[in-house]
Amino acid sequence: MMSLYAVLIDGAIYASWLFLVAAGLTVIYGVMRILNMAHGSFYAIGAYAAASLVGWYFNNGIGPVWVGYLMMLGCALAAGLVVGLLIERGLLRFMYGRDEVLMVIITYALLLILEDAMKMIWGVNPYFAYQPYAEMGRSVLAGLKVSNYDLMLVGVSLVLGLSLWLWLERTHQGKVLRAVIHDREVAQAMGVNVRRVFTLVFILGTVLGTLAGALTAPAISVAPGIGVEIIVLAFAVVVIGGMGSIEGAALGALLVGLSRAAAVHYAPQFELFVIYGVMALVLAVRPQGLFGRVLARKI
Amino acid sequence: MQSSFSRLPSLIALSVLLLGFACTADAGRVELGAAATQADLTLGCLYPMTERAAIYGQDSIAGIQVALSELQGLREAGEQVPRMRVIIDDDQSKASYGTGLARAFIRKDGVQVLCGMVSSGVAIAVSQLAREQKVLMIGTDHASSRMSLENGHRYYFRVTNDTWTSMAAGARYLKDLQARTGWTRLAFIGPDYEYGHVSRDDLHEALRQQGVKFDDVTELWPRLYEPDYSAYIAALEQAKPDIIVSALWGGDFHAFVKQAAGTRLFETSRLANFDTGGNYDFLASLGDKAPPGLILSARHHNNFPDTARNRAFVERFHTLTGRFPTYAAQGAYTGVMILARASQKAAGATDTESLIRALEGLEIALPEDPPGFASRIDPLTHQIQQTQAVGTPVPNNDYPPARLMLGNWQLYSAEELQPDPATRARRLAQQIRNPEGHAP
Repeated sequence: MMSLYAVLIDGAIYASWLFLVAAGLTVIYGVMRILNMAHGSFYAIGAYAAASLVGWYFNNGIGPVWVGYLMMLGCALAAGLVVGLLIERGLLRFMYGRDEVLMVIITYALLLILEDAMKMIWGVNPYFAYQPYAEMGRSVLAGLKVSNYDLMLVGVSLVLGLSLWLWLERTHQGKVLRAVIHDREVAQAMGVNVRRVFTLVFILGTVLGTLAGALTAPAISVAPGIGVEIIVLAFAVVVIGGMGSIEGAALGALLVGLSRAAAVHYAPQFELFVIYGVMALVLAVRPQGLFGRVLARKI
Repeated sequence: MQSSFSRLPSLIALSVLLLGFACTADAGRVELGAAATQADLTLGCLYPMTERAAIYGQDSIAGIQVALSELQGLREAGEQVPRMRVIIDDDQSKASYGTGLARAFIRKDGVQVLCGMVSSGVAIAVSQLAREQKVLMIGTDHASSRMSLENGHRYYFRVTNDTWTSMAAGARYLKDLQARTGWTRLAFIGPDYEYGHVSRDDLHEALRQQGVKFDDVTELWPRLYEPDYSAYIAALEQAKPDIIVSALWGGDFHAFVKQAAGTRLFETSRLANFDTGGNYDFLASLGDKAPPGLILSARHHNNFPDTARNRAFVERFHTLTGRFPTYAAQGAYTGVMILARASQKAAGATDTESLIRALEGLEIALPEDPPGFASRIDPLTHQIQQTQAVGTPVPNNDYPPARLMLGNWQLYSAEELQPDPATRARRLAQQIRNPEGHAP
């Protein structure tokens, strides 16, 4: 019984982290039809920004703990805003309407450039900012001692997912966004400033990426390559859920998280296989993903 | 016309991107030492300079610089040492990419010796190439014991401790610990690739040879660079091991320990990492307080042995880079120094056959050697034989930013860390039989 609780708790923690990473990726694809390979770099930029700033703050004993958490969120938002704006305005807006494959190549090139840019800025030494993780302490849940920071991540994911869903489904801006998703040309003909929508969505996706990185930073050592490592898993989640679907990303993350946790506890040698096994199974039954829609091809 | 103009911005942007990519693609290549026309010996070294292991690549380059400057000093003092040209490139921790670079080293740069490699996966692939091309290869960092046993050949030498040496030392430590505490339940957690699995096999075999009885309560295999260890920590807590041996390394080991700190894991289990856990970057990441019960070692320690040679190496590295070295630096340093010594032993010859003959059985004093010990290349396996020191974290402010270094040392001599003759013969017998194999 204890193992079952452990699977549920660990699965939920992993799923929440996966969702944080995948949410930005799926939002950008849903609206802009850009399979953004550079999303992993946004995650890494957020992690580096948070680890360097928060590490500096705590190591120098500058102020109260809660300010450190605010700084972590603040630098993720600032980094996402600046990077997202620069890339969208400086590069992607020249590419809209191009073949999706070309966009993959461009964002892949961007990923490689950003990876090296990060090495130039932060070097190759790992950054450690464990204080926010350690300061939160632990709770006992179903007999298991669980990090409060991990539980906080679950909460953040739930709030974030719900906010994104409400924004898309219940606000005027969300309706405009769905109109663009449904038919870009008709939305433009109806007076929607599609370019502005794209800018907004790309910045939102970038901020979600940097936020995921910043929130993960206290639990890991931030080192070159973390962005590349994460993008494969994020893609798996997004593909399982259906590309462009927030609900799909949430369900995909939950499926992967629980399957992985079950594998770790009951059959550790199958852990890696399970993640991609779930993806293969879903794609075999529903090639468009769990929440994906089959779109008629426009000729 | 309109069409051409509409494509212009995208073409410009794509060109900028491709240029950016082209600029960064060759950024990993570094050349050190003598010019091509003056070099007696050209080395082509492969290290990761991107992704997680980049710190080990950077430290290896600095280690090579320290060695080249030491050789320059010897030359100026009148010693006959070969002029070396060292070309270093980024293998990106990918076997296929690393093999391609190694092939280009041999064909385009006229490299006589391949060296380096942090990943055992990359090293195995490049070692096959070295065997095919009959080019000498000096392993300076990768540790899988299969490299010098099952996969060994006459062109391959390794100058850093392998997983067998580390696990043999660990097995002895655990045997002593069992005599004191009576532990029986053992768990293992290691990365799910060549290095992790060979580490587990070597640990179990070394424990068996020591006659240590234990229950193998669980084995866990997280993927390399796993960011979330909570499921593994919970699985370990439930398995209730007395001892957990980890083969996680670098940032992965740090993440695992940080995430486990504060759970009940360290209240009931002692965590050991005999191959990489005592590395400087991990000790620095601990801050001023280590979780209880850590047992650690690594392939080189900045504060042990406290000899003039080790102090000089660490100081030179620090002067050059402004920071203290990880164990990768000493491995790369050793690779260069051992080739110079082999050339001296071969009366200045630098051809492959002369160097192989000189390297087999060569003895050399290295920073890692405690007083009274010297490192030696085993002529049969081509694996360096060195002492191994295992310790626990203690406060030490001499190597900032680290505030903990290892202490309470247990030292094991090279002789007692060798596999028993039967194990060695069995593993060597698995070598692919060919004229280049060195199986008995």
